[in-house]
Amino acid sequence: MTKKWNVEVKVNGRVKRAEVEPRLLLVHLLRDEFNLTGTHIGCDTSQCGACTVMMDGKAVKSCTVLAVQADGAEIQTVEGLGTVDQLHPIQAGFWEKHGLQCGFCTPGIMMAVNGLLQDNLNPSEAEIRDALDGVICRCTGYQFIVKAVQQAAETIRNSQQQSQVVPAEGGSV
Amino acid sequence: MRIEYSYTFDLPKDTVWRYIQDDRVLRSSLPGCQTFEEMPSGIYAAELGLNTGPVKGLFSAEVQQVDQIPPTYYRLLVKGKGKPGEIDAVADMILEEAEEAEGGTKITCVAEIEVTGVLASVGQRVMVGVAKVILGQFFKAAEKEMQNEI
Amino acid sequence: MTKVVGKPLKRKEDPKLITGNGQFTDDIKLTGMLYMAVKRSQHAHARIKRISVDAALKLPGVVAVYTGKDVQDKIKPIRSIWLVPGCDLIAKDRVPLAVDKVNYTGEAVAVVIAESRYLASDALDLIDVVYEELPAVVHQEAAIEGSAPVIYNDVPGNVAFTWKAGEVPEEVFANAEVVVKQRFYEQRVAANPMETRGAVAQYNPGSGELTLWCTSQNPHIHRLQYSEALGISETKLRIIAPDVGGGFGAKIAVYTEEALAAFAAMDLKQPVKWIEDRQEHFLATSHARDQVITTELAGTKDGKILAIRTRNVASLGAYLSTMGAGVPTIDFGLMVTGAYTIPYAQAETIGVYTNTTPTDAYRGAGKPEASYQIERIVSLFAEKIGMDPVEVRRKNLVQKGSFPYTNPMGCNYDSGDYQKVLEQALEAAGYAGLRKEQEEARKNGRLLGIGISTYVELCGLGPSAVAGAIGFGGGLYENCTVRVHPSGKVTVLTGASPHGQGEGTTFAQVVAEKFGIPIEDVELFHGDTHMISMGWGTYGSRTTPVAGGALAIAADRVIEKAIKIAAHELEVSPEELKFEDGAFMVKGDPDKKRTFKEIAWSANNAWNLPAGVEPALEGQCFFDPPDFVYPFGAHICVVEVDPDTGVVDLKKYVSVDDVGRILNPLIVEGQVHGGLAQGIGQALWEQTVYSEKGQLLSGTFMDYAMPKAKFFPMIESSFVESPSPVNPLGAKGVGETGTTAAPSAVVNAVMDALKPYGVVDLEMPLTPEKVWKAIQKGRAVK
Repeated sequence: MTKKWNVEVKVNGRVKRAEVEPRLLLVHLLRDEFNLTGTHIGCDTSQCGACTVMMDGKAVKSCTVLAVQADGAEIQTVEGLGTVDQLHPIQAGFWEKHGLQCGFCTPGIMMAVNGLLQDNLNPSEAEIRDALDGVICRCTGYQFIVKAVQQAAETIRNSQQQSQVVPAEGGSV
Repeated sequence: MRIEYSYTFDLPKDTVWRYIQDDRVLRSSLPGCQTFEEMPSGIYAAELGLNTGPVKGLFSAEVQQVDQIPPTYYRLLVKGKGKPGEIDAVADMILEEAEEAEGGTKITCVAEIEVTGVLASVGQRVMVGVAKVILGQFFKAAEKEMQNEI
Repeated sequence: MTKVVGKPLKRKEDPKLITGNGQFTDDIKLTGMLYMAVKRSQHAHARIKRISVDAALKLPGVVAVYTGKDVQDKIKPIRSIWLVPGCDLIAKDRVPLAVDKVNYTGEAVAVVIAESRYLASDALDLIDVVYEELPAVVHQEAAIEGSAPVIYNDVPGNVAFTWKAGEVPEEVFANAEVVVKQRFYEQRVAANPMETRGAVAQYNPGSGELTLWCTSQNPHIHRLQYSEALGISETKLRIIAPDVGGGFGAKIAVYTEEALAAFAAMDLKQPVKWIEDRQEHFLATSHARDQVITTELAGTKDGKILAIRTRNVASLGAYLSTMGAGVPTIDFGLMVTGAYTIPYAQAETIGVYTNTTPTDAYRGAGKPEASYQIERIVSLFAEKIGMDPVEVRRKNLVQKGSFPYTNPMGCNYDSGDYQKVLEQALEAAGYAGLRKEQEEARKNGRLLGIGISTYVELCGLGPSAVAGAIGFGGGLYENCTVRVHPSGKVTVLTGASPHGQGEGTTFAQVVAEKFGIPIEDVELFHGDTHMISMGWGTYGSRTTPVAGGALAIAADRVIEKAIKIAAHELEVSPEELKFEDGAFMVKGDPDKKRTFKEIAWSANNAWNLPAGVEPALEGQCFFDPPDFVYPFGAHICVVEVDPDTGVVDLKKYVSVDDVGRILNPLIVEGQVHGGLAQGIGQALWEQTVYSEKGQLLSGTFMDYAMPKAKFFPMIESSFVESPSPVNPLGAKGVGETGTTAAPSAVVNAVMDALKPYGVVDLEMPLTPEKVWKAIQKGRAVK
């Protein structure tokens, strides 16, 4: 029997532990051990991005990360993005703009978008389409996903402006 | 798929010819070779532990060398079977005096390879590269062996 | 009460899906659950000499291994349900596991049941299968040549059937002023829903009841088939399609792995889960298209089309899949004349077994193929007579006022104004300006191309009597129950099984508007054979036209009953009441009224019902439509080809579709976009490729070119609404418009761009390599 390893990760703000085989993938740790089934598996070669989560603030494909590599890391999954009562602007954007149909790829795509918007809150259409290169959606043709991202970016920009004390000179955001 | 690969030995053609089909040299230079035995049919049965890209794990192989024209040509037939799939290769091996290195021998391998299983569905794209790496490892090790032999 | 039908409301389905609370098959976890993994053939065609499973069984954690011999007497082969008549069809059914011979790469030969998915996968490596390889036939044209290896001894020449419809008198072609003939290859593609297939099976040895959660577009068809294959009464077999992550036709077909998981669960008396991985999906889930279509058009010099004659050599794969025979025959052949008034048509289809994964429906199923050949040949005809492709279409489109129009194959196009749709598309694209721009561009050596497609498709399957006549092993009616709870909230149950199409919202819109209640008060339930009366599922753009028809009638039945109760309470006759904005009001005395909610309570408490009226408030309808529906559209695509690289740049795509009455424009537009992405994908990038020996070379997303976001421009879509007369909602279906229209629009555009090089036709997908080579060849000729 293979030696098992203890891993401890902080998932959506809560510390969780598990004893895992060294070969266990992070996505299986999340889904099978922690019952966080919002993160999906759409392929086995890291192309589709359905399994994308945030790991230490970066969007990663959890099918290409071993659970042991995530030891000590902070993970955010779709379950930690927002709730039905308090949707994250990305979730609200996807809902408003019909950015999903079957909804299978959606959690991963939203996490990838989360990665994009962290770096760029004013992405052009081309930048959004580029940022979606690591994910595949078979239902939507992407157009309404692009619109959803634009809407999410705008919501976040607006809320940041509102929450900021506007400097006398206007300043940069 | 078809691959073509050349390697230049720093050894004369006769020497390369003498040793390149020698079972002792083959046994010690085939990558990951664990067993290499001649069967009554004249076919060699080999077990190779390979680990290059998708070609991974233990492969049992039958190796046959035919149609020899000393010291310039022979044909190598390899049938291998492993977890990720099966490999069927027919390789023409051509020996010539190397142009660039005096006293050296250039060996060119022109092979037609068929693969099945995961090797085909996933590996195809990288197979040519993988085959070249494995051939490179083999020729390099063979040259070392030959130098030890002479 | 404001009107909600026709409003772009956001979807009721979404909150759970965007918060990670959907429940897909792989999300189901049961106590004591075991995992199944499938050992698949590495060869396209081989005899199985020996299978050794001992080493696998010895692996700790492995519970069972089953081979073909173990299950051949326990699970029956899965029958194809579409046995097209009159074509001497020889159906080869899928066996649960191959016994003596494998017929395609990826065919299942054994399954392992283990305590974890990792262990099950490990154990596969320990199963040793010894094969004797046989020569394989991969391409259908080679397969029907006399010298080709034969897959089945009782199928000479590998020909499963030869189907014919219509007839063109020989003199029509002999005397025609213009004849255009072209061979088209509809390449093999894969539907590739983002969720692969999967199943969870749970057996109760006490009750003998088997519950099978699986990725299905049509759970009742799965029940019908698995109940027969497994020998379980329908009363004991419960099929549940939970959230399903896309289907596009691939989840219509009834496969064997789900039956194997069910069998194992019964045999081991423990729940069993099987989830296909993407590589398996490429090997084991049905492929589609793969038809070689030769089309001949007879016409006049001034642009009238007189006849169409087609010969389609279709690859069925190694077995006849669920709807495998119907797609290249009925679905294709009846629509070969497209949207034009063509006096004569003849279609012949040869169905061929090959050593490949079975083919079946994929978004459009036969209609994209029919549309492709007619839209391409019409453009080639225009080219030949030196007429603008738009002009040829204008001349031949079915004229306004002639609906229902019966085409030469007997299909009754329901309604529309095809010219208006075309003119709207030309206007939206700025066609005249585009032609000028093209002329300028050509002077500068730039390759700008404009492609047009005016498609029509047969949708909304369909009347059951027709289903019977065309050999479909089931009905094509649909069922809806509208159940009004005591509180006035409504549950709708349907036999259709949506999986992304949004009927949870559109059906709620219909009910909300009819009853004058908030849309929040209506919930749609589907996908459970124990809870829902007979239904036939979601495919063929049938859910809104057919299940929606059942919904409208069932809701009306509720109102009919409610009026009786309200009248009784208000002490008037039902005729004296009108029902408006959720209230039953006495005509002329609107203060005398009962609300819908009040009647819901009265009906359900049954304290005071009129004589002869039963308690509760529920309406049900099995709607069997009188005919099919025919969405129509005009699409215009603009491309620029880079002569140095052969890369096709999609500059503009305009779609104008008449999909009948639109219930929710947001959802309808989403359907159009999604279909277009797949249709454009087929035209430019996607292809399932086999080696000569039948090895699948496009077995991952690294090798199969799935369309990505940056491949597309913003699609400009708009609509014309001509309600269909054949269903109460007037809907025509929208799901398959994009895949039907786009391939010809895109290829026509690229061919138009390559016109200076004399290129007439290229096989899809139009990859840069193919386009570049054609340019080089054209240059050499020049």
